[in-house]
Amino acid sequence: MIRVQQERFDAGSEQQALTRGRSDIGAVVSFTGLVRDFNERPEVQALTLEHYPGMTESALADIVAEAEQRWPLQGVRLIHRVGRLAPGDPIVLVVVASAHRRAAFEACDFIMDFLKTRAPFWKKEHTASGAYWVAEREGDHRDARRWETST
Amino acid sequence: MSLTHLNPRGEAHMVDVGDKAESRREARASGVIHMRPATLALLADGDLPKGDVLATARIAGIQAAKRTHELIPLCHALALSKVSVDFRLDEAASCVHVSATCRLTGRTGVEMEALTAVSVACLTLYDMCKAVDKDMEIGSIHLDAKTGGKSGDYQRGPAAMEPAPIVTGEGATGEVSLGVRCAMGEPCIRVKCLAELRERLGVGEVSVPFAELESADVAGLKALLKSMDARFAGLDEGRVLCAVNQVMAGNATPLTAEDEVAFFPPVTGG
Repeated sequence: MIRVQQERFDAGSEQQALTRGRSDIGAVVSFTGLVRDFNERPEVQALTLEHYPGMTESALADIVAEAEQRWPLQGVRLIHRVGRLAPGDPIVLVVVASAHRRAAFEACDFIMDFLKTRAPFWKKEHTASGAYWVAEREGDHRDARRWETST
Repeated sequence: MSLTHLNPRGEAHMVDVGDKAESRREARASGVIHMRPATLALLADGDLPKGDVLATARIAGIQAAKRTHELIPLCHALALSKVSVDFRLDEAASCVHVSATCRLTGRTGVEMEALTAVSVACLTLYDMCKAVDKDMEIGSIHLDAKTGGKSGDYQRGPAAMEPAPIVTGEGATGEVSLGVRCAMGEPCIRVKCLAELRERLGVGEVSVPFAELESADVAGLKALLKSMDARFAGLDEGRVLCAVNQVMAGNATPLTAEDEVAFFPPVTGG
């Protein structure tokens, strides 16, 4: 299940929804990304997240489908927020369920790495000294390339 | 926070500023007047029946700032040290952006003067152009920033400036057309510029006639865009990605009529 939304999400209830009524799931790994108050500049007061409706959803679906091909997964929940967020707010949630922990850990890691380099989201940070669009990071691309060798 | 123009009994009164310290005050306001592309072209060429429209509107705005106290009941008469009114013609959005800056060293703020200057400059633009275009629309008149005074500095927040930041393609410039509009029945390519690229180029959405592409691919589209509007030279600055019908694409990706092509900077989500 993939959602792009402005509203807050609750990681606990999303995880419960994923595992409710299931006894075949042996491991659930959940990642929540939060808005930091420091990034390219200190004192980030807010963040606006823009996306490309339509392409965003299909890009996320492709990433999840690829994860499901690589690992035996019992379920994935992926939520990404858009709009204006404040420091401490949750931005993104990935919950991955599998029979065994290794697949769940790796698939969750993979989904975040690909999301950061392939899904059409753009962050603009607002600070006391003005607003700016966040630049891409080489580290994110390096992280995503880790998964290339395994196919 | 309370309304300073109301006394304890809730009646309107003029604030006594005699005891306030003098400080350097500055305010900047802006607004926009939308018009037909043909009207904007006449304005740019100085071919309108009433003559030099922008010079007249500039003087009108400056005069209005100086006379704000005559128009707004509880405003003080101020000895402004500077008033400037500027215009930016926006062909992509088919509008004129009007901004005004007022300054003085004194005891009251000058935001009303800046707002009045913008309002009257817009009204004068309307008056000067109404012979050829009665559909013009004045809007978005607001304070951009003010400095000095007891209430401190103000900078219009990003939330106020970007009412819909999450839905790309509906940026400040809205749906505009450099060439013939799609609505006119000609096959076209719909182009979107997203996020930082939209702000850098000042273009949100444009439609270009498919028949005018030198080659029916992304490279041909880029060439056409650049020949239509110099701002698209920015497509070659930095890393700019491209999607055709919402799938990642490159310069060689072929295009067909009614395709949606988006240009955007590297992604930064998560």
